[in-house]
Amino acid sequence: MAGIGFQLRRILSEDTYTATLRAYFYAGLIGSGPWVLSIVSVMLIGVFSLGERMPAQHVRQFLVTVTYLMAVSLIVTGGLQLFFTRFVSDRLFERQHGRVVPNLLGILLLVSVVSAVLALLALGLLFDQPFAYRLLVLANFVVLCNLWLVIIFLSGMKAYNRILAVMLVGYALMVLSAYLLRFLQMEGLLLALLIGHASLLFIFLRDILREYPADRLLAFDFLDRRQTFVSLLATGFCYNLGIWVDKFIFWFNPHTSSAVIGPLRASIFYDLPIFLAYLSIIPGMAVFLVRIETDFAEWYERVYAAIRGGETLQRIGRLKEEMTLSIRQGLLEICKVQGLTVVLLVLLAPRLLEWLGISSYHLPLFYVDLVGVSVQVVFMALLNVFFYLDKRATVLKLCLLFVVLNGALTVFSQRLGPVFFGYGFTLSLLVCVLVGLQLLSSALEDLEYETFMLGR
Amino acid sequence: MSETSSPEPVADVCLLLEGTWPHVRGGVSSWVDQLIRGLPELSFSVCFLGGRRDDYGSPHYPMPANVVHYRECFLESAWQSEPPPTAGRGRDVERDLRILSQFLHAPEEPSAEQGEALLDVLAAGSLGLADVLYSRASWSVIRESYLRHCSDPSFVNYFWSLRIMQAPLLMFGELARRLPRARLIHSVSTGYAGLLGSILQRRWRCAYLLTEHGIYTKERKIDLAQAGWIAERPDDALSTALDAELGYIRRLWIRFFERIGLLTYRSADPIISLYEGNRRRQVQDGADSARTRVIPNGIRLEAWADALARRPRGIPPVVGLVGRVVPIKDVKTFIRAMRGVVSAMPEVQGWIVGPEEEDPAYAAECRNLVVSLGLQEQVRFLGYQKLGDVLPRLGLMVLTSISEAQPLVILEAWAAGTPVISSDVGSCREMIEGGSAEDRDLGSAGDVVAIADPQATARAILQLLRNPTRWQAAQAVGLERVGRYYGEALMLERYRRLYRDAMEGARWPA
Repeated sequence: MAGIGFQLRRILSEDTYTATLRAYFYAGLIGSGPWVLSIVSVMLIGVFSLGERMPAQHVRQFLVTVTYLMAVSLIVTGGLQLFFTRFVSDRLFERQHGRVVPNLLGILLLVSVVSAVLALLALGLLFDQPFAYRLLVLANFVVLCNLWLVIIFLSGMKAYNRILAVMLVGYALMVLSAYLLRFLQMEGLLLALLIGHASLLFIFLRDILREYPADRLLAFDFLDRRQTFVSLLATGFCYNLGIWVDKFIFWFNPHTSSAVIGPLRASIFYDLPIFLAYLSIIPGMAVFLVRIETDFAEWYERVYAAIRGGETLQRIGRLKEEMTLSIRQGLLEICKVQGLTVVLLVLLAPRLLEWLGISSYHLPLFYVDLVGVSVQVVFMALLNVFFYLDKRATVLKLCLLFVVLNGALTVFSQRLGPVFFGYGFTLSLLVCVLVGLQLLSSALEDLEYETFMLGR
Repeated sequence: MSETSSPEPVADVCLLLEGTWPHVRGGVSSWVDQLIRGLPELSFSVCFLGGRRDDYGSPHYPMPANVVHYRECFLESAWQSEPPPTAGRGRDVERDLRILSQFLHAPEEPSAEQGEALLDVLAAGSLGLADVLYSRASWSVIRESYLRHCSDPSFVNYFWSLRIMQAPLLMFGELARRLPRARLIHSVSTGYAGLLGSILQRRWRCAYLLTEHGIYTKERKIDLAQAGWIAERPDDALSTALDAELGYIRRLWIRFFERIGLLTYRSADPIISLYEGNRRRQVQDGADSARTRVIPNGIRLEAWADALARRPRGIPPVVGLVGRVVPIKDVKTFIRAMRGVVSAMPEVQGWIVGPEEEDPAYAAECRNLVVSLGLQEQVRFLGYQKLGDVLPRLGLMVLTSISEAQPLVILEAWAAGTPVISSDVGSCREMIEGGSAEDRDLGSAGDVVAIADPQATARAILQLLRNPTRWQAAQAVGLERVGRYYGEALMLERYRRLYRDAMEGARWPA
């Protein structure tokens, strides 16, 4: 999320209510990212396609295909996202702006080739759908994999009005195309998805190319191990796998799922509540970004400036306490805002689901998921603090813990029966957050020791 | 204590040298060379300590046959060599670190027991470099000592100063465990070499001799006062300028050298200096007066017999300054004194004998001074000359230095029959007027004048040149004095005896 702190502080420096509101709005937009907007758009497409000449079965096949596209592309590129974010921040820190774009194009080329090969293999071996379907899935997959790498630059871009506009245009284009192309059935909807995401990808790419001029077209410096942190690949992979592993377990347990299209299975009563719940994290994400990237980041900078600038140990200690306080306040504020959101949604949920035409059968799971995704925001905030403190090993451990716990507890919850569905996901996040808080506490405790004695 | 070094001595004398022989030319190095070659019946094991390997080229002195073992050790490698994992048995890292920190950095003067405890820690190797550099115990000791003693300067400077001081100590502990055993230890300075000697003595339980040519701790203080590498906060630097008080980090460094010097003074016996002034200084710095003694440098008298024979009859009307043309020799005072001399005795020549390359700007200033005083005819710059050729042609040798220890050139001048006028620095008065009562009875071998006093210098020169009786008396005293007290044979004999006593005498109490 390099650079967003600077943007947020710039907006907040105006010190007016509208500026504050704008900062939170911007943070929500960047933080929740296009993938929350994707959920909304795709759900919108699903909602209006339903009943109009298209059988419910096809709409469902479309939704499940999209879900798999999202899940697999995020898991496949998750490691690269973190890895490349760090690579870019390091290069920007070294003021080597010229190396950004050639390497971005390099990694996009690599991602395109690898994702296309993976998709070709999967589609060729596992699917017997029509060629058009398979081709569109392949194209969508490659575009999504690229998009996830491009959006890591959003936070660093200055023109947030433009980001907003591009997102609106992209998703509007997607929904509109879907409306116009729905006569082509599922293929039309997939084509609309492709048009939407591809337009986002290319417009953002164009903006990045303008922002970071370069004298080379392609570079593969990110493959040089001396300039990168390989552990980030594992961390990003585990984090994204952790987010999806409970879903996969539900999809591939025959008792909780049904085949939808080709080898793709889905679990309608598990999937719908969690996707809806994800929409609720927007306020929490906004608060998380504003607090962590402004308050915490400022204190963090002061602590390290004091260490480098030769301040007394007492002063370094006092600044560290302020930094700790800013973390505490940030987490507390996320909890407050997200807690309020959860309470409101719990109160409104029955009517909301009724209005959306979703069975109240989903309500208990929706409540559990609401709590789960809210804890996930806290988890993300913690991970971000650890990244600031450059505790890559800790983040990797926490993400590994998340994958293992989410997998194990989800399997366990399936044994216990439908009343316990969703608890695996929520509980695993809760444990990770508690462990993370404990680790953070000792990391802050040892901050001076590790900085001075171990040179970390 | 683990015995990794061989129990059977491989050499008689383990000679510890810091920044001198065989890599650096100079007074101390030639003394070392003289000592080793002069005592061929003894075998030496030499350990050279230096800062950075790259600072030293190939050795300037060929290795004598009686050096049976030679090793070099550089401070910079204190960071590279990770000592082998130390035995876990009864290891109390925090206690050891506290001993280290208390002795080296605490403002209070450490007790003898604290010094013993530190040497025990270093000799036993119970503390590893990793303990000092990375352990939590080390962190808490540093933190504590910072909070207790030092609230003013920046922590990062304090922290790194401590690390840079402590790391080499562990390396020397490690080195002490590896050096081959010798019958006695002889260090030629305090400082790191002296510290290594103290650790070695702890392990070998043998005699430990210390010879100091200059006063190491004093020299370090001068270096530190001028050191630009010590990062200090502007207000600290300001206070240095305003009330002549040193910044905290400088004080910390000075204290460090004082403490390791103290450790050496407490371990070594005898503690030898070149002259009485330095002996007093050692006592002032913590050496036990009963252990101190003076052994002056000596020159090979036979080598100068020829020069003496070539001396013409009478007093040559030539006054010579022998030394490099650098500010410390205060050549300008000599030139100004020559103005006074020439006004009274126009026939007198002033020769400046010594290379001018070291400080060309200063040499140019000196030449300008000669011109502006109108002495072009009388004062000549001869550059480097063989002393054996020059000394017989001098009527007087003059030293105007503002700092000297025990200049060999005075002894050489006497051996060549030249009386000497010197500024009152180092051991010069002791040499010219005599040290012991017996020595004083011989009389004066020239004259001593205040530093930077051209009038007094001119007067002293004129008095000797114009008074042949006094001049002849001074020449005779010089010859007698150098022959009696400053012969190389005498110096070597004294060390031979010290070594023999140390090897044969009672084993160091275990």
